[in-house]
Amino acid sequence: MKIALINGSPKVKDSASNAILQELKKFLGDEPIIIQEHFKSPEIKEEQMESILDCEAIVFAFPLYVDGIPSHLLHCLVRFQEYIDKIGKKEIVVYTLVNCGFYEGKHNALAIDMMKHWTKKSGLKWGQGIGIGAGGMIPGLGNVPAGHGPKKNLGTALKIISDNIVNSSEGETLFITANFPRFAYKLAAEFGWRKAIKANGLRRKDLFRKKV
Amino acid sequence: MKILIHDLNENDFNLKFNVIGKDITVISNNNEIHNCIGCFGCWVKTPAACVIRDKYGDMGELYSKCDEVIIISNCCYGGFSPFVKNVMDRSISFVLPYFTYRNGEMHHKNRYNKRYKLKVCFYGDNIIEEEMDTAKKLVMANSINMNCIKHEVSFYNSIQEMEGEIL
Repeated sequence: MKIALINGSPKVKDSASNAILQELKKFLGDEPIIIQEHFKSPEIKEEQMESILDCEAIVFAFPLYVDGIPSHLLHCLVRFQEYIDKIGKKEIVVYTLVNCGFYEGKHNALAIDMMKHWTKKSGLKWGQGIGIGAGGMIPGLGNVPAGHGPKKNLGTALKIISDNIVNSSEGETLFITANFPRFAYKLAAEFGWRKAIKANGLRRKDLFRKKV
Repeated sequence: MKILIHDLNENDFNLKFNVIGKDITVISNNNEIHNCIGCFGCWVKTPAACVIRDKYGDMGELYSKCDEVIIISNCCYGGFSPFVKNVMDRSISFVLPYFTYRNGEMHHKNRYNKRYKLKVCFYGDNIIEEEMDTAKKLVMANSINMNCIKHEVSFYNSIQEMEGEIL
């Protein structure tokens, strides 16, 4: 079996999407042949599309941007659909992992629905979607294996979707968050913003700057 | 002041919509636009402005000065077209990185006191029922996230249908 893992984050490194895909790879095991692509700009090459369409399953992982699909990835999806329209329908199952900075995974529901619509319009088959909340924590937890500590729910969800991927089967959309209290996540995130602005030579109050 | 964000080509727009003499700032796909790179620079490097200094780097500031944002967009998989979505992605300087709760869910706090109305007009001759449903939910979600005063959404089969209906 051949599986395409597509990182849809515009970040070159340290993205939650890449971290999630690397965790998923461990659950998929050594048997499937895995190809990896990174859609980090609005451009998509014909060779990339050809190699992805040579797979039985495509797994997209991307961050939620303003309740939807990031625009660079949307550009790629429109181009990809046009290419599939041209070459004809393929027997490929699409899976999607969307993460957001908000605590609740449910925020990702509309982006998953949009991916379902893309799948249908492209003549492909929908597999499953997972909406992951508290995505901001994931890159910093590289040493914690999925299924443990704050990544317990992530491990459970990745096990379910990986089983579906290798069996080319469908599953219901799942929404998860970190095994970490919401108030603590909020405090940690806000501490992070203060640290980041100071690291850029600005003051805490500059976070609230208004342009008039 | 109103802001009108649209993805129509210049000829179609000028033929169908007359903005001359009206207090409307038009955001069109007539300049090079870079995509958001998820750097959060608009929150922690140059707060309130995008670090990418193309013609679309001050959307948050623009929103803070308007009473209504009107969006005309091709409906793409139940969402905005790539250009309109690009403008939206580049607009998050309008809110703060800090969190608040609305309807029991986490959202971003307001940076500005000013709030605006959101009016979205989707067009397309092949919008299926499920996409319409997603698009309606999307506009509502955007409205909650940007803390808009109110929102409305409408669908048109063609650009021609929108003439005289929107402004």
